[in-house]
Amino acid sequence: MKKTGLLALPFVVGLAALVGLPAVAALGLAFTEFSGVEGPRFTGSANVSRLVADTAFWRSLGNTLIYIVLAVPLRMVAALGAALLLNRRSRTASAGRPLAYLPTVVPDVAYALLWLWLLNPLYGPLAAIFGTADLLVDPWGARVSLALLSVFQIGEAFVVALAVRRSIPPHLYEAAAVDGAGPWFALSRLTLPLMTPVLGLLTLRDVILSLQVNFVPAFLLTDGGPRYATTYLPLYVYRTAFRYFRLGYASTIALTMFIITAVIVLVQYRLARRWRLTP
Amino acid sequence: MRSSARRSLRGFLIVALATVFVTPLLFMVLGSLRAPGLPPPDGFELVPQGFTWSNYRNVFAFVPLGTYLTNSLIVVAIAVPVTVLVASWAGFAIAVASPRARRRLIALSVVALMIPLSALWVPRFVLFKWLGLVDTLWPLIAPALMATTPFYVLLFALSYSRLPSTLFEAARLENLSPFGIWRKVAWPLSAPVALAVAVLAFGWHWANFIDPLLYLTSGDKQTVSVGLRALQTLEPTNHPILLAASVMVTAPPVIAFLAAQRSFFVKTLGVR
Repeated sequence: MKKTGLLALPFVVGLAALVGLPAVAALGLAFTEFSGVEGPRFTGSANVSRLVADTAFWRSLGNTLIYIVLAVPLRMVAALGAALLLNRRSRTASAGRPLAYLPTVVPDVAYALLWLWLLNPLYGPLAAIFGTADLLVDPWGARVSLALLSVFQIGEAFVVALAVRRSIPPHLYEAAAVDGAGPWFALSRLTLPLMTPVLGLLTLRDVILSLQVNFVPAFLLTDGGPRYATTYLPLYVYRTAFRYFRLGYASTIALTMFIITAVIVLVQYRLARRWRLTP
Repeated sequence: MRSSARRSLRGFLIVALATVFVTPLLFMVLGSLRAPGLPPPDGFELVPQGFTWSNYRNVFAFVPLGTYLTNSLIVVAIAVPVTVLVASWAGFAIAVASPRARRRLIALSVVALMIPLSALWVPRFVLFKWLGLVDTLWPLIAPALMATTPFYVLLFALSYSRLPSTLFEAARLENLSPFGIWRKVAWPLSAPVALAVAVLAFGWHWANFIDPLLYLTSGDKQTVSVGLRALQTLEPTNHPILLAASVMVTAPPVIAFLAAQRSFFVKTLGVR
Protein backbone atom coordinates (compact mmCIF):
# COMPACT_ATOMS: atom_id res chain seq x y z
CA MET A 1 0.00 0.00 0.00
CA LYS A 2 1.38 3.37 -0.93
CA LYS A 3 2.02 6.08 1.60
CA THR A 4 1.53 3.78 4.58
CA GLY A 5 5.13 4.60 5.36
CA LEU A 6 3.95 8.03 6.44
CA LEU A 7 2.26 6.47 9.43
CA ALA A 8 5.57 5.04 10.56
CA LEU A 9 7.18 8.45 10.17
CA PRO A 10 6.71 9.73 13.76
CA PHE A 11 8.27 6.52 15.09
CA VAL A 12 11.16 6.62 12.63
CA VAL A 13 11.79 10.33 13.30
CA GLY A 14 11.60 9.67 17.06
CA LEU A 15 14.17 6.90 16.72
CA ALA A 16 16.41 9.13 14.61
CA ALA A 17 16.25 11.95 17.16
CA LEU A 18 16.52 9.89 20.33
CA VAL A 19 18.70 6.97 19.24
CA GLY A 20 20.38 7.77 15.91
CA LEU A 21 21.45 11.33 16.63
CA PRO A 22 22.72 10.56 20.17
CA ALA A 23 24.64 7.57 18.81
CA VAL A 24 26.39 9.79 16.27
CA ALA A 25 26.95 12.45 18.94
CA ALA A 26 28.51 9.82 21.22
CA LEU A 27 30.92 8.90 18.45
CA GLY A 28 32.00 12.53 18.18
CA LEU A 29 32.14 13.21 21.91
CA ALA A 30 34.24 10.11 22.50
CA PHE A 31 37.26 11.92 21.11
CA THR A 32 36.87 15.11 23.11
CA GLU A 33 37.36 16.45 26.56
CA PHE A 34 34.05 17.87 27.70
CA SER A 35 32.99 18.95 31.19
CA GLY A 36 29.49 20.01 30.16
CA VAL A 37 30.32 23.61 31.03
CA GLU A 38 33.03 24.52 28.54
CA GLY A 39 32.48 23.35 24.96
CA PRO A 40 33.98 20.03 23.91
CA ARG A 41 37.68 20.15 23.03
CA PHE A 42 38.98 17.65 20.47
CA THR A 43 41.74 15.54 21.98
CA GLY A 44 42.23 12.91 19.29
CA SER A 45 42.91 9.44 20.58
CA ALA A 46 43.80 10.58 24.12
CA ASN A 47 40.58 9.09 25.53
CA VAL A 48 41.23 5.78 23.81
CA SER A 49 44.74 5.42 25.22
CA ARG A 50 43.37 6.41 28.58
CA LEU A 51 40.63 3.76 28.30
CA VAL A 52 43.17 1.06 27.49
CA ALA A 53 45.16 1.95 30.61
CA ASP A 54 42.12 2.45 32.84
CA THR A 55 41.98 -0.43 35.34
CA ALA A 56 38.60 0.81 36.64
CA PHE A 57 37.19 0.41 33.12
CA TRP A 58 38.53 -3.12 32.68
CA ARG A 59 37.25 -4.05 36.12
CA SER A 60 33.77 -2.74 35.22
CA LEU A 61 33.86 -4.65 31.95
CA GLY A 62 34.91 -7.79 33.83
CA ASN A 63 32.12 -7.29 36.39
CA THR A 64 29.64 -6.86 33.55
CA LEU A 65 30.82 -10.12 31.95
CA ILE A 66 30.48 -11.89 35.31
CA TYR A 67 26.97 -10.48 35.60
CA ILE A 68 26.12 -11.74 32.10
CA VAL A 69 27.46 -15.23 32.87
CA LEU A 70 25.55 -15.39 36.17
CA ALA A 71 22.27 -13.73 35.19
CA VAL A 72 21.53 -14.40 31.51
CA PRO A 73 21.37 -18.25 31.68
CA LEU A 74 19.21 -18.07 34.81
CA ARG A 75 16.92 -15.47 33.27
CA MET A 76 16.55 -17.40 30.03
CA VAL A 77 15.82 -20.69 31.80
CA ALA A 78 13.26 -18.92 34.00
CA ALA A 79 11.57 -17.19 31.05
CA LEU A 80 11.47 -20.37 28.94
CA GLY A 81 10.42 -22.53 31.88
CA ALA A 82 7.60 -20.15 32.80
CA ALA A 83 6.47 -19.94 29.16
CA LEU A 84 6.37 -23.74 28.69
CA LEU A 85 4.69 -24.25 32.04
CA LEU A 86 2.04 -21.60 31.45
CA ASN A 87 1.27 -22.16 27.78
CA ARG A 88 -1.55 -24.74 28.24
CA ARG A 89 -5.18 -23.73 28.27
CA SER A 90 -6.14 -24.16 31.87
CA ARG A 91 -7.47 -21.99 34.61
CA THR A 92 -4.30 -22.39 36.71
CA ALA A 93 -2.15 -21.42 33.73
CA SER A 94 -4.15 -18.31 32.87
CA ALA A 95 -4.04 -17.24 36.51
CA GLY A 96 -0.30 -17.90 36.63
CA ARG A 97 0.62 -15.82 33.55
CA PRO A 98 -0.04 -12.34 35.00
CA LEU A 99 1.65 -13.38 38.26
CA ALA A 100 4.82 -14.40 36.40
CA TYR A 101 4.83 -10.98 34.73
CA LEU A 102 4.03 -9.07 37.92
CA PRO A 103 7.58 -8.40 39.27
CA THR A 104 8.43 -6.86 35.88
CA VAL A 105 5.76 -4.20 36.46
CA VAL A 106 7.24 -3.19 39.83
CA PRO A 107 9.18 0.09 39.47
CA ASP A 108 12.94 -0.56 39.59
CA VAL A 109 13.53 1.75 42.55
CA ALA A 110 10.77 0.18 44.65
CA TYR A 111 12.09 -3.24 43.64
CA ALA A 112 15.67 -2.39 44.65
CA LEU A 113 14.58 -0.87 47.95
CA LEU A 114 12.46 -3.96 48.63
CA TRP A 115 15.58 -6.11 48.25
CA LEU A 116 17.56 -3.72 50.41
CA TRP A 117 15.17 -4.73 53.17
CA LEU A 118 14.77 -8.41 52.16
CA LEU A 119 18.55 -8.85 52.31
CA ASN A 120 19.09 -6.85 55.49
CA PRO A 121 20.96 -9.16 57.90
CA LEU A 122 19.09 -7.93 60.99
CA TYR A 123 15.63 -6.85 59.87
CA GLY A 124 15.16 -8.71 56.60
CA PRO A 125 12.90 -11.77 56.28
CA LEU A 126 15.49 -13.73 54.28
CA ALA A 127 17.86 -13.60 57.24
CA ALA A 128 14.99 -14.56 59.55
CA ILE A 129 13.96 -17.56 57.40
CA PHE A 130 17.28 -18.84 56.05
CA GLY A 131 19.65 -17.30 58.57
CA THR A 132 21.64 -15.70 55.76
CA ALA A 133 24.50 -13.40 56.63
CA ASP A 134 24.91 -9.95 55.09
CA LEU A 135 25.36 -11.00 51.47
CA LEU A 136 25.98 -7.49 50.24
CA VAL A 137 29.25 -7.03 52.15
CA ASP A 138 30.86 -9.93 50.32
CA PRO A 139 31.92 -9.33 46.68
CA TRP A 140 30.54 -12.62 45.39
CA GLY A 141 27.54 -12.48 47.70
CA ALA A 142 26.66 -9.10 46.20
CA ARG A 143 27.26 -10.28 42.63
CA VAL A 144 25.12 -13.38 43.06
CA SER A 145 22.38 -11.43 44.87
CA LEU A 146 22.13 -8.85 42.09
CA ALA A 147 21.99 -11.60 39.47
CA LEU A 148 19.33 -13.53 41.41
CA LEU A 149 17.05 -10.59 42.00
CA SER A 150 17.06 -9.87 38.27
CA VAL A 151 15.61 -13.33 37.58
CA PHE A 152 12.20 -12.19 38.78
CA GLN A 153 11.97 -9.44 36.16
CA ILE A 154 11.79 -11.48 32.97
CA GLY A 155 8.35 -10.40 31.73
CA GLU A 156 9.24 -9.41 28.17
CA ALA A 157 11.27 -12.54 27.42
CA PHE A 158 8.54 -14.64 29.03
CA VAL A 159 5.70 -13.26 26.88
CA VAL A 160 7.76 -13.47 23.69
CA ALA A 161 8.63 -17.11 24.45
CA LEU A 162 4.99 -17.73 25.31
CA ALA A 163 3.73 -16.27 22.02
CA VAL A 164 6.29 -18.26 20.04
CA ARG A 165 5.44 -21.51 21.81
CA ARG A 166 1.79 -20.85 21.00
CA SER A 167 2.59 -20.39 17.32
CA ILE A 168 3.82 -23.99 17.00
CA PRO A 169 0.99 -25.89 15.28
CA PRO A 170 -0.63 -28.41 17.67
CA HIS A 171 -0.87 -31.07 14.94
CA LEU A 172 2.91 -31.58 15.18
CA TYR A 173 2.48 -32.71 18.77
CA GLU A 174 -0.53 -34.84 17.87
CA ALA A 175 1.46 -36.54 15.13
CA ALA A 176 4.32 -37.19 17.55
CA ALA A 177 1.90 -38.58 20.13
CA VAL A 178 0.37 -40.93 17.54
CA ASP A 179 3.87 -42.24 16.87
CA GLY A 180 4.14 -43.00 20.57
CA ALA A 181 6.54 -40.18 21.43
CA GLY A 182 6.67 -39.12 25.07
CA PRO A 183 6.79 -35.60 26.52
CA TRP A 184 10.59 -35.60 26.63
CA PHE A 185 10.74 -36.30 22.91
CA ALA A 186 8.21 -33.53 22.24
CA LEU A 187 10.30 -31.07 24.24
CA SER A 188 13.74 -31.99 22.90
CA ARG A 189 12.80 -32.72 19.27
CA LEU A 190 9.90 -30.37 18.64
CA THR A 191 9.53 -27.49 21.08
CA LEU A 192 13.16 -26.53 21.64
CA PRO A 193 14.37 -26.84 18.02
CA LEU A 194 11.38 -24.86 16.76
CA MET A 195 11.94 -22.16 19.37
CA THR A 196 15.72 -21.99 18.94
CA PRO A 197 15.80 -18.93 16.60
CA VAL A 198 13.71 -16.81 18.93
CA LEU A 199 15.48 -18.13 22.02
CA GLY A 200 18.77 -17.14 20.41
CA LEU A 201 17.42 -13.68 19.72
CA LEU A 202 16.09 -13.33 23.26
CA THR A 203 19.41 -14.45 24.73
CA LEU A 204 21.34 -11.92 22.67
CA ARG A 205 18.90 -9.19 23.68
CA ASP A 206 19.28 -10.21 27.30
CA VAL A 207 23.07 -10.03 27.04
CA ILE A 208 22.69 -6.47 25.76
CA LEU A 209 20.10 -5.66 28.41
CA SER A 210 22.73 -6.65 30.95
CA LEU A 211 24.56 -3.49 29.89
CA GLN A 212 21.63 -1.54 31.30
CA VAL A 213 19.31 -3.35 33.72
CA ASN A 214 21.74 -3.71 36.60
CA PHE A 215 22.19 0.04 37.00
CA VAL A 216 19.42 0.65 39.54
CA PRO A 217 20.22 -2.25 41.91
CA ALA A 218 23.97 -1.55 41.70
CA PHE A 219 23.31 2.15 42.30
CA LEU A 220 20.88 1.74 45.20
CA LEU A 221 21.74 -1.59 46.83
CA THR A 222 25.52 -1.83 46.69
CA ASP A 223 26.69 1.53 45.29
CA GLY A 224 29.04 -0.48 43.10
CA GLY A 225 30.68 -2.24 46.02
CA PRO A 226 31.88 -4.02 47.99
CA ARG A 227 35.39 -3.33 46.71
CA TYR A 228 33.97 -2.34 43.27
CA ALA A 229 32.59 -5.88 42.78
CA THR A 230 29.30 -4.56 41.38
CA THR A 231 30.61 -1.52 39.53
CA TYR A 232 29.17 -2.48 36.16
CA LEU A 233 29.64 -0.49 32.96
CA PRO A 234 26.44 1.61 33.28
CA LEU A 235 27.35 2.65 36.82
CA TYR A 236 30.90 3.48 35.70
CA VAL A 237 29.55 5.58 32.82
CA TYR A 238 27.15 7.35 35.19
CA ARG A 239 29.89 8.16 37.69
CA THR A 240 32.35 9.31 35.05
CA ALA A 241 29.81 11.56 33.35
CA PHE A 242 27.59 12.84 36.14
CA ARG A 243 29.73 12.68 39.25
CA TYR A 244 33.11 13.62 37.77
CA PHE A 245 31.70 15.53 34.76
CA ARG A 246 33.93 13.87 32.21
CA LEU A 247 31.31 13.67 29.49
CA GLY A 248 33.86 13.08 26.73
CA TYR A 249 35.54 10.16 28.42
CA ALA A 250 32.15 8.73 29.46
CA SER A 251 31.24 8.71 25.76
CA THR A 252 34.39 6.73 25.04
CA ILE A 253 33.21 4.11 27.54
CA ALA A 254 29.71 4.22 26.03
CA LEU A 255 31.34 3.62 22.66
CA THR A 256 32.58 0.24 23.87
CA MET A 257 28.97 -0.61 24.67
CA PHE A 258 27.98 0.32 21.12
CA ILE A 259 30.76 -1.91 19.81
CA ILE A 260 29.58 -4.83 21.95
CA THR A 261 26.02 -4.21 20.76
CA ALA A 262 27.09 -3.97 17.11
CA VAL A 263 28.97 -7.28 17.33
CA ILE A 264 25.94 -8.97 18.91
CA VAL A 265 23.51 -7.52 16.34
CA LEU A 266 25.82 -8.72 13.57
CA VAL A 267 25.98 -12.22 15.05
CA GLN A 268 22.22 -12.17 15.35
CA TYR A 269 21.77 -11.03 11.76
CA ARG A 270 23.96 -13.87 10.53
CA LEU A 271 22.06 -16.38 12.66
CA ALA A 272 18.75 -14.95 11.41
CA ARG A 273 19.98 -15.45 7.84
CA ARG A 274 20.97 -19.00 8.58
CA TRP A 275 17.54 -19.65 10.06
CA ARG A 276 15.94 -17.82 7.11
CA LEU A 277 14.14 -15.32 9.29
CA THR A 278 15.29 -12.42 7.14
CA PRO A 279 16.49 -12.38 3.52
CA MET B 1 -3.51 -42.27 34.54
CA ARG B 2 -0.01 -41.11 33.69
CA SER B 3 -1.32 -38.02 31.97
CA SER B 4 -3.43 -37.05 34.98
CA ALA B 5 -0.36 -37.41 37.20
CA ARG B 6 1.49 -35.20 34.74
CA ARG B 7 -1.30 -32.68 34.85
CA SER B 8 -1.25 -32.42 38.60
CA LEU B 9 2.55 -32.11 38.56
CA ARG B 10 2.13 -29.24 36.12
CA GLY B 11 -0.49 -27.64 38.36
CA PHE B 12 1.84 -27.97 41.33
CA LEU B 13 4.73 -26.40 39.43
CA ILE B 14 2.54 -23.48 38.34
CA VAL B 15 1.48 -22.81 41.92
CA ALA B 16 5.13 -23.02 43.05
CA LEU B 17 6.23 -20.62 40.31
CA ALA B 18 3.46 -18.13 41.07
CA THR B 19 4.28 -18.29 44.78
CA VAL B 20 7.95 -17.57 44.17
CA PHE B 21 7.14 -14.62 41.91
CA VAL B 22 4.53 -13.07 44.18
CA THR B 23 6.23 -13.62 47.56
CA PRO B 24 8.62 -10.64 47.34
CA LEU B 25 5.64 -8.35 46.73
CA LEU B 26 3.69 -9.84 49.65
CA PHE B 27 6.76 -9.31 51.82
CA MET B 28 6.80 -5.67 50.72
CA VAL B 29 3.25 -5.19 52.00
CA LEU B 30 3.89 -7.18 55.20
CA GLY B 31 7.05 -5.24 55.97
CA SER B 32 5.26 -1.92 55.51
CA LEU B 33 2.85 -2.74 58.35
CA ARG B 34 5.45 -3.14 61.11
CA ALA B 35 5.78 -0.37 63.67
CA PRO B 36 9.01 1.58 63.04
CA GLY B 37 11.70 1.94 65.70
CA LEU B 38 11.35 -1.60 67.03
CA PRO B 39 14.28 -4.00 67.58
CA PRO B 40 14.95 -6.63 64.85
CA PRO B 41 12.39 -9.44 64.60
CA ASP B 42 13.11 -12.74 66.31
CA GLY B 43 12.58 -15.01 63.34
CA PHE B 44 10.07 -14.51 60.52
CA GLU B 45 6.96 -12.49 61.43
CA LEU B 46 3.81 -13.46 59.59
CA VAL B 47 1.92 -10.77 61.50
CA PRO B 48 4.26 -7.79 61.82
CA GLN B 49 5.10 -6.67 65.33
CA GLY B 50 3.15 -3.56 66.37
CA PHE B 51 0.88 -3.88 63.31
CA THR B 52 0.08 -0.38 62.02
CA TRP B 53 -1.10 1.47 58.93
CA SER B 54 0.46 4.73 60.12
CA ASN B 55 3.64 4.29 58.05
CA TYR B 56 1.64 5.17 54.95
CA ARG B 57 0.72 8.51 56.44
CA ASN B 58 4.18 9.13 57.88
CA VAL B 59 5.90 8.79 54.50
CA PHE B 60 4.64 12.28 53.70
CA ALA B 61 6.56 13.67 56.70
CA PHE B 62 9.82 12.37 55.21
CA VAL B 63 9.41 13.27 51.54
CA PRO B 64 6.97 15.56 49.67
CA LEU B 65 5.43 12.57 47.93
CA GLY B 66 2.41 14.65 46.83
CA THR B 67 4.59 16.95 44.70
CA TYR B 68 6.42 13.96 43.23
CA LEU B 69 3.12 12.25 42.41
CA THR B 70 1.88 15.37 40.59
CA ASN B 71 5.06 15.53 38.49
CA SER B 72 4.86 11.83 37.63
CA LEU B 73 1.21 12.22 36.66
CA ILE B 74 2.05 15.12 34.31
CA VAL B 75 4.71 13.01 32.58
CA VAL B 76 2.39 10.01 32.29
CA ALA B 77 -0.58 12.10 31.10
CA ILE B 78 1.40 13.31 28.07
CA ALA B 79 3.73 10.39 27.42
CA VAL B 80 1.20 7.54 27.50
CA PRO B 81 -1.25 8.85 24.83
CA VAL B 82 1.64 9.89 22.57
CA THR B 83 3.22 6.46 22.98
CA VAL B 84 -0.01 4.68 22.10
CA LEU B 85 -0.56 6.80 18.97
CA VAL B 86 3.02 6.54 17.69
CA ALA B 87 3.13 2.80 18.37
CA SER B 88 -0.26 2.22 16.78
CA TRP B 89 0.64 4.12 13.60
CA ALA B 90 3.98 2.38 13.25
CA GLY B 91 2.48 -1.02 14.06
CA PHE B 92 -0.23 -0.46 11.47
CA ALA B 93 2.36 0.59 8.89
CA ILE B 94 4.29 -2.62 9.57
CA ALA B 95 1.16 -4.74 9.23
CA VAL B 96 0.03 -3.33 5.87
CA ALA B 97 3.35 -2.34 4.26
CA SER B 98 4.90 -4.19 1.33
CA PRO B 99 7.01 -7.18 2.42
CA ARG B 100 10.21 -5.22 1.82
CA ALA B 101 9.14 -2.16 3.82
CA ARG B 102 7.78 -4.43 6.53
CA ARG B 103 11.10 -6.25 6.88
CA ARG B 104 12.94 -2.93 7.07
CA LEU B 105 10.66 -1.52 9.73
CA ILE B 106 10.85 -4.70 11.80
CA ALA B 107 14.63 -4.79 11.46
CA LEU B 108 14.81 -1.14 12.52
CA SER B 109 12.63 -1.85 15.57
CA VAL B 110 14.67 -4.90 16.56
CA VAL B 111 17.98 -3.05 16.21
CA ALA B 112 16.59 -0.14 18.25
CA LEU B 113 15.40 -2.64 20.84
CA MET B 114 18.95 -3.98 21.05
CA ILE B 115 20.73 -0.70 21.78
CA PRO B 116 21.37 -0.39 25.52
CA LEU B 117 19.92 2.87 26.80
CA SER B 118 22.92 3.30 29.09
CA ALA B 119 25.07 3.94 26.02
CA LEU B 120 22.80 6.88 25.14
CA TRP B 121 22.71 8.61 28.53
CA VAL B 122 25.60 10.97 27.91
CA PRO B 123 24.89 12.09 24.31
CA ARG B 124 21.17 12.47 25.06
CA PHE B 125 22.02 14.58 28.08
CA VAL B 126 24.30 16.75 25.98
CA LEU B 127 21.54 17.18 23.36
CA PHE B 128 18.88 18.13 25.90
CA LYS B 129 21.28 20.49 27.64
CA TRP B 130 21.99 22.11 24.31
CA LEU B 131 18.23 22.50 23.77
CA GLY B 132 17.96 24.13 27.21
CA LEU B 133 15.58 21.44 28.48
CA VAL B 134 17.56 20.27 31.51
CA ASP B 135 15.55 20.54 34.73
CA THR B 136 12.25 20.36 32.84
CA LEU B 137 9.96 17.36 32.44
CA TRP B 138 10.43 17.27 28.62
CA PRO B 139 13.42 14.88 28.51
CA LEU B 140 11.30 12.45 30.54
CA ILE B 141 8.39 12.72 28.10
CA ALA B 142 10.53 12.64 24.94
CA PRO B 143 10.87 8.81 24.66
CA ALA B 144 7.14 8.76 23.84
CA LEU B 145 8.11 10.11 20.40
CA MET B 146 9.78 6.77 19.67
CA ALA B 147 6.81 4.86 21.16
CA THR B 148 8.81 4.62 24.43
CA THR B 149 10.18 1.23 23.35
CA PRO B 150 9.95 -0.51 19.95
CA PHE B 151 8.49 -3.46 21.86
CA TYR B 152 5.14 -1.65 21.89
CA VAL B 153 5.30 -1.08 18.12
CA LEU B 154 5.85 -4.80 17.63
CA LEU B 155 2.89 -5.58 19.90
CA PHE B 156 0.62 -3.41 17.72
CA ALA B 157 2.09 -4.92 14.54
CA LEU B 158 1.45 -8.43 15.87
CA SER B 159 -2.14 -7.64 16.67
CA TYR B 160 -2.88 -5.78 13.38
CA SER B 161 -1.33 -8.54 11.30
CA ARG B 162 -3.83 -10.97 12.84
CA LEU B 163 -6.74 -8.95 11.43
CA PRO B 164 -8.01 -10.40 8.12
CA SER B 165 -6.29 -8.59 5.23
CA THR B 166 -9.61 -8.50 3.31
CA LEU B 167 -10.69 -5.88 5.83
CA PHE B 168 -7.97 -3.49 4.69
CA GLU B 169 -8.43 -4.34 1.02
CA ALA B 170 -12.11 -3.49 1.22
CA ALA B 171 -11.25 -0.15 2.80
CA ARG B 172 -8.67 0.50 0.10
CA LEU B 173 -11.27 -0.14 -2.61
CA GLU B 174 -13.32 2.59 -1.03
CA ASN B 175 -10.38 4.90 -1.72
CA LEU B 176 -9.53 5.52 1.89
CA SER B 177 -6.07 6.93 2.57
CA PRO B 178 -3.75 4.85 4.82
CA PHE B 179 -4.54 7.25 7.63
CA GLY B 180 -8.25 6.86 6.88
CA ILE B 181 -7.96 3.07 7.03
CA TRP B 182 -6.11 3.32 10.32
CA ARG B 183 -8.70 5.76 11.67
CA LYS B 184 -11.83 3.97 10.43
CA VAL B 185 -10.83 0.30 10.42
CA ALA B 186 -7.71 -0.53 12.42
CA TRP B 187 -7.92 1.87 15.38
CA PRO B 188 -11.52 0.99 16.39
CA LEU B 189 -10.49 -2.67 16.46
CA SER B 190 -7.38 -2.10 18.55
CA ALA B 191 -8.87 -1.16 21.92
CA PRO B 192 -7.39 -4.21 23.73
CA VAL B 193 -3.85 -3.65 22.36
CA ALA B 194 -4.09 0.07 22.99
CA LEU B 195 -5.09 -0.67 26.57
CA ALA B 196 -2.26 -3.18 27.02
CA VAL B 197 0.33 -0.80 25.55
CA ALA B 198 -1.06 2.12 27.57
CA VAL B 199 -0.70 0.13 30.78
CA LEU B 200 2.83 -1.01 29.94
CA ALA B 201 3.85 2.51 28.89
CA PHE B 202 2.34 3.89 32.07
CA GLY B 203 4.47 1.43 34.05
CA TRP B 204 7.57 2.38 32.06
CA HIS B 205 7.23 6.13 32.54
CA TRP B 206 6.06 5.79 36.12
CA ALA B 207 9.13 3.70 36.97
CA ASN B 208 11.58 5.72 34.88
CA PHE B 209 14.48 6.38 37.21
CA ILE B 210 17.51 7.28 35.17
CA ASP B 211 16.01 10.22 33.24
CA PRO B 212 14.74 12.14 36.29
CA LEU B 213 18.06 11.32 37.99
CA LEU B 214 20.03 12.82 35.10
CA TYR B 215 17.82 15.76 34.15
CA LEU B 216 15.98 17.03 37.21
CA THR B 217 17.95 19.15 39.64
CA SER B 218 15.27 21.13 41.51
CA GLY B 219 13.63 19.32 44.41
CA ASP B 220 10.10 20.37 43.43
CA LYS B 221 10.44 18.85 39.95
CA GLN B 222 11.31 15.30 41.02
CA THR B 223 9.13 12.33 40.14
CA VAL B 224 8.09 9.47 42.43
CA SER B 225 10.93 7.10 41.58
CA VAL B 226 13.68 9.58 42.42
CA GLY B 227 11.66 10.82 45.40
CA LEU B 228 11.51 7.24 46.66
CA ARG B 229 15.27 7.05 46.42
CA ALA B 230 15.55 9.81 49.04
CA LEU B 231 14.25 7.30 51.58
CA GLN B 232 17.11 4.90 50.84
CA THR B 233 19.19 6.51 53.58
CA LEU B 234 16.67 5.62 56.32
CA GLU B 235 18.01 3.42 59.11
CA PRO B 236 16.94 -0.26 58.92
CA THR B 237 14.71 0.36 61.93
CA ASN B 238 12.71 2.78 59.74
CA HIS B 239 12.50 0.36 56.80
CA PRO B 240 8.72 -0.01 57.31
CA ILE B 241 8.35 3.61 56.17
CA LEU B 242 10.54 2.94 53.15
CA LEU B 243 8.40 -0.12 52.34
CA ALA B 244 5.14 1.81 52.78
CA ALA B 245 6.41 4.36 50.25
CA SER B 246 7.48 1.50 47.94
CA VAL B 247 4.01 -0.03 48.15
CA MET B 248 2.41 3.30 47.24
CA VAL B 249 4.70 3.73 44.24
CA THR B 250 4.30 0.10 43.18
CA ALA B 251 0.52 -0.12 43.53
CA PRO B 252 -0.61 2.01 40.53
CA PRO B 253 1.26 0.08 37.81
CA VAL B 254 0.56 -3.30 39.44
CA ILE B 255 -3.17 -2.62 39.78
CA ALA B 256 -3.35 -1.23 36.24
CA PHE B 257 -1.52 -4.30 34.90
CA LEU B 258 -3.72 -6.78 36.74
CA ALA B 259 -6.84 -4.95 35.53
CA ALA B 260 -5.61 -5.02 31.92
CA GLN B 261 -3.89 -8.41 31.89
CA ARG B 262 -6.60 -10.08 29.80
CA SER B 263 -6.18 -7.46 27.09
CA PHE B 264 -2.47 -8.12 27.18
CA PHE B 265 -2.32 -11.91 27.19
CA VAL B 266 -5.56 -12.91 25.45
CA LYS B 267 -6.30 -10.07 23.04
CA THR B 268 -2.81 -8.81 22.20
CA LEU B 269 -0.67 -11.93 22.36
CA GLY B 270 -3.49 -14.33 21.52
CA VAL B 271 -2.65 -16.60 24.46
CA ARG B 272 -5.91 -17.96 25.77
